[in-house]
Amino acid sequence: MDGSHPPPAASSIPGALTREQFDALQKELDAIRDEVLASRGERDARHIRFIVRLARWCAITGRSLLHFGFVPGSWLLGVAALSLAKILENMEVGHNVLHGQYDFMNDPALNSQTYEWDIVCASSNWRNYHNYLHHTHTNILGKDHDLGYGVVRVTDKQRWVPYNLFQVLWYGMLAHFFQWGVAVHDIKIDYYFKGKISWQNLKQRLKPFLHKTRRQLFKDYVLFPALALWNWPRVLLGNMTANLIRNLWTNIVIFCGHFPKGVRVYTREETKNESRGQWYVRQMQGSANIEGPRWFYVMTGHLSHQIEHHLFPDLPAHRYPDIAPRVRAICEKYGISYCSRGFFRQYGSVLSEMVRLSLPPKEAAVS
Amino acid sequence: MPFLPSLSAVWRSPWLAPFNDVNALNDLLGQVNALWSIDRILARVIEVRTETADTRTFVLRTNRLWPGHRAGQHVVVEMEIDGVRRHRTFSIASAPGRSREIDITVRRQPHGRVTGWMHEQLRPGMVVGLSAPRGDFTLPETLPPRLLLIAAGSGITPIMAMLRDLQARGARPDIRLVQLSREPADAIFRNELEQLARGWPQLQLRTWYSRLQGRLDPRALDALVPDADQRSAWLCGPHVFMQAVLAHWQAQGRPAPQHESFGAPLRRAASGERVAVRALKAERMFTASADLPLLQEAESAGLQPKSGCRIGICQTCKCVKRSGVVRNLLTGAVSAEPDEQIQLCISAPVSELSLEL
Repeated sequence: MDGSHPPPAASSIPGALTREQFDALQKELDAIRDEVLASRGERDARHIRFIVRLARWCAITGRSLLHFGFVPGSWLLGVAALSLAKILENMEVGHNVLHGQYDFMNDPALNSQTYEWDIVCASSNWRNYHNYLHHTHTNILGKDHDLGYGVVRVTDKQRWVPYNLFQVLWYGMLAHFFQWGVAVHDIKIDYYFKGKISWQNLKQRLKPFLHKTRRQLFKDYVLFPALALWNWPRVLLGNMTANLIRNLWTNIVIFCGHFPKGVRVYTREETKNESRGQWYVRQMQGSANIEGPRWFYVMTGHLSHQIEHHLFPDLPAHRYPDIAPRVRAICEKYGISYCSRGFFRQYGSVLSEMVRLSLPPKEAAVS
Repeated sequence: MPFLPSLSAVWRSPWLAPFNDVNALNDLLGQVNALWSIDRILARVIEVRTETADTRTFVLRTNRLWPGHRAGQHVVVEMEIDGVRRHRTFSIASAPGRSREIDITVRRQPHGRVTGWMHEQLRPGMVVGLSAPRGDFTLPETLPPRLLLIAAGSGITPIMAMLRDLQARGARPDIRLVQLSREPADAIFRNELEQLARGWPQLQLRTWYSRLQGRLDPRALDALVPDADQRSAWLCGPHVFMQAVLAHWQAQGRPAPQHESFGAPLRRAASGERVAVRALKAERMFTASADLPLLQEAESAGLQPKSGCRIGICQTCKCVKRSGVVRNLLTGAVSAEPDEQIQLCISAPVSELSLEL
């Protein structure tokens, strides 16, 4: 862990730039976006179809090994292949397709409005709280419910409560059951108990959740084990482990995207009457990248480029590494922080921040 | 070739997932043989023939899901061009009965992205998607005693299918065929038609070449075919031409000819104008300003489309535009293709629209 490293210069806050500068910055980012849009085509179609097939063959291989493998080690191999399949399908395919990145292809199999992914979270719930709430209100306290997922205190601006003392523990539980955390996120059961939403509203939100979880549990814990006959414990345990590995991995990647040291959190007041240029700046300062090789980017669904993803959530994600140097150059030009580190440093920073924030703030830090 | 007679309720049950994931199964089958599919009609191009300088015939061999067509019907062809699936409608030029083989004859449109691609890139061996055959621009089972067929430009294609069908069935009714083209070299199927007429005395060809003879006044049709009012008429060609002929027929008090139009031209709305929008799911029409986001106008009209951020980020308000042209208010990009997805919160209409709303 090396959270002791100083954060990248977190100099600029909205207001440090003039209105004209924000507009100029917006034009430069828009130009990048237009360039990618104009070159969108067969290359992107080939990429996403390749990943779809790769994920599918990993799933077929993994499940076959779990069902029929009798060689020692086949269980481990099966779990590895099935985990890989779920990670690729959830991250590089599901998440990105649901953002509408491949809608331009007009292919019903890759349509953002109808795609359903291999995870207990229903696509319809996800489209609301992730695509809308999180991507529009990124890192605004009280509006972006992804800030700590209601489990972790991730910024000094959040009030400390004794519950936070053990937040590393709560976080560990969230990470293990992350798909469930994601699935219940949009239901807002706490809102119901606080009287903020009606029973009718809650029921409406619960419907897609119950529908999806039933099918998902049936598939991994009834149908596939049953097909394995006497081999069922092996398959059941394998599916459970694959889901667990996927949960841990997606959680780590997602926490690296918004909660390392150096990422800025905003208040509602700061973002009132925000211009498009200011919105861009908030997206860049509210996100963090992870550096690594190309295969690693695919494994994260290109959330390794969370900054570029938050600027342009509907551009094909595998283009983010191409435009990242230019985005970074724009950040330098306008004196905006660009939080990018290697995987271990970034996740280390997330954990050390989490430990620091589990303790009550000292008087000096409050000012 | 795997084929399921119908996708029954059992098959569609969500509890069978992922074994009934049709997209995945189609993709797996397609990797074995490009024509295999559970539910998609697919066809391989087996021959490309040049008809005139700007017209080509593509001979397609379909998979077993093709139900067969009637002469005069059309089909929607799905092609993937630079990663994007595009759809265009073409009349089938061949007679039914050739086993799983159809011809589509395509004139290259000036600046046409899809027809241009077909002429330059679509080669034997490549695979396209097809809809089921559609349309009722066909001849009746019991033929009327005398027929008049009027074809302008590529409007000859469905009429060619009818003539080929009659010939194959040995029927030789009394037909006057008026073919309009720019000039003789532009007349599609000219040789085949002349040959057909040689062995079929009651089939008489009348030609009209606009570059030599000027634009055809519909009244001149009566001079070309003096007993036109005694004949049952079929008419196919560009929209403007057909409107003129239909008006003439109406003025003469004759029953309207059967007709098939190749798409009406869209009028572009100017700023400040309001255009008609058809909401297909709600089965409603409303008008929308050419300057405002469609989302706002749909809501003003009492519709309740799903929406989220309202600034073009979250994709919640995405909907399929069946026809018409819209402009992206953020980028200025224009979407003119049928069946494209648009974001209502940042799209303003440029022409009349049909939306899946």
